[in-house]
Amino acid sequence: MSLIKRQWTAREADQWTKEDYLVFIISPLVYVMLAVGTALSLFLLWYGWVILAAALILLGLMIWIIDPKLKAVSADYETKQKEYLEEIEKIERWEE
Amino acid sequence: MVNFAFLDWFWVVAFIVLMTICGILFYKLGKRSMADFFLAGRGLPWWLPATSVYATHTATDTPIWVSGVIYKYGLRGIWYTFFSAWCAISAFASTRIFRRSLAYTQAEWQTLRFSGLGAELLRGWIAGWQVFMNMFVLGWVGMAMGKLCNYLFGWPEWLGLILFSSICAVYVLAAGYWGVVMSDFQQGVIAFLVIVIVSFWGINVAGGPRGIITKLDALGEGWRINPFAFSGLTSGDFPLVWFLTMLVIAVIGGFGMGTAIDWYPEAQRIQSAKTVRDASYSIWSGTALIVVRNSLWAVAILGFFALYPNIKETAQSEMAWYRLGFEYLPVGMVGLFFAAVVAIHLSTISAHLNLGASYATRDLYHHYFKPRASEKELVWVGRISTLILLLGSFLYGLMMKEITQWLIFALWIMAAGIWLPSILQVVWWRFNSWGYLSSWVANLGLSWLVVWVLPEFRLIPVLPDYLQFWIMMVLGALIYLPITFLTKPEDMDRLVKYYVMSRPLGWWKPVRREAERLGLLAAEPAPAKGGI
Repeated sequence: MSLIKRQWTAREADQWTKEDYLVFIISPLVYVMLAVGTALSLFLLWYGWVILAAALILLGLMIWIIDPKLKAVSADYETKQKEYLEEIEKIERWEE
Repeated sequence: MVNFAFLDWFWVVAFIVLMTICGILFYKLGKRSMADFFLAGRGLPWWLPATSVYATHTATDTPIWVSGVIYKYGLRGIWYTFFSAWCAISAFASTRIFRRSLAYTQAEWQTLRFSGLGAELLRGWIAGWQVFMNMFVLGWVGMAMGKLCNYLFGWPEWLGLILFSSICAVYVLAAGYWGVVMSDFQQGVIAFLVIVIVSFWGINVAGGPRGIITKLDALGEGWRINPFAFSGLTSGDFPLVWFLTMLVIAVIGGFGMGTAIDWYPEAQRIQSAKTVRDASYSIWSGTALIVVRNSLWAVAILGFFALYPNIKETAQSEMAWYRLGFEYLPVGMVGLFFAAVVAIHLSTISAHLNLGASYATRDLYHHYFKPRASEKELVWVGRISTLILLLGSFLYGLMMKEITQWLIFALWIMAAGIWLPSILQVVWWRFNSWGYLSSWVANLGLSWLVVWVLPEFRLIPVLPDYLQFWIMMVLGALIYLPITFLTKPEDMDRLVKYYVMSRPLGWWKPVRREAERLGLLAAEPAPAKGGI
């Protein structure tokens, strides 16, 4: 079994799994590194470029991890959205 | 005062005409239904709400504020602007949950997550507060434009406030959110390009990257390019505990809804995205642009510091980035710069006009006054609400000097004591409407006590803001947690319905089991490690 799951059924994708938790860690790191890396790179400091490059690599990794799951969640949800919207309008109009 | 040549005025007029026409072009789409007027029919690809997130949060007063903190604290000042990082986790947690709820607004979400009187009270309160807040933001940002026009052209402040907000209202009234988001795209691109041009120009004027470092070293201010130059663990003007508190507030806040004031405009962008995936990427990438923009500004402002290191008055240092543009760009480019300032101004004004109107229309008029209203009527109510917000913002803007201090305090207290409850309502099934409602009320009283009353009577010392945050969080919990446990859990039917639709993260086992028992969900697949 691979460390990162990249084939999802709709039912599996609805669970919160380690792929989500990994992204919760990577994503803030990318923001911190983008902020620091951009500023220090503009000062032409070599470690600024290293941080910025690391941020971009982590960003790629993050998308690689989460994109298949987001696609599966979205595809499944879109099939139910119309029915859910009708339900919400009933609540809005005090019919329920 | 700045002198504009013909070319400068050409840029300004051309951009205003272009932006307004671009908005009006979508009139036919905007009037189709309330979902079009406020959410662009829930059909946008991720990059449109993303540029809208970026453009909305790039306002006339943003470079003023960023200039102030960077000039004062050096590069470490970027952490003051880092609160937007709540989107790092939110994009993949609360954004996903909120998009699946399909609520038009955060106020509506309260009645999907909670039930009964408590839910309705919460919806009414949040809707009313958001109408007020958007009017306030419109006045605040509009007045920043008034002040800028006064500095540039010597106009009276009211003129800049009224002129540009009124131009913007033309396309918001005509096309609603369609006009907002399409203009935002154009305005976001213009603003980003001009921010890059002006910042690089400023860096160059200050001697280039190496020149700035050399000048700062010569001034004995070399520490200013270190983003982690803390003044101590708890001491000094930039302690490590402040930084850590900020990180916790920003990052962990992403699990909740409403932990940051920016959640409310973002919620509208989330719902306008065509899929859950588009919603996630729009919030993440729009905020990434903001993070990069802030760093770009920071370096240019440090260049300004190298040129003018002895400015003592905050009002002067806050103009750092604007001065780089207006004082150093060549003739012809100054107009382009001002056109970009108009662009960022219009994007913020249009977003808040439409957002405030969405709460007034969907949550107040439609839900409480006329549930059977037709789509056509609701679009018209949206337009009338937009107009009322516009007029109200003029009043706020003109009395802003007197009320700003009070309202900034109000903003702070809105954030501190409800931060944790705003997370709990998303991740914990047992947290109920009475718990959340009591946290708002408790926060209102506690913040007055902790921030002003007790220090005034010398019962406690004046506390640093990071300590105020933690104290208010603990004291608030002592009130809303007992209230939560002393009142009934939410109606299980409502919770199940919400769970099946939104699949929230966190502690929802009893609700999940009930949904499985009712046959609405299949039993969980083989345990997903780490899943709760």
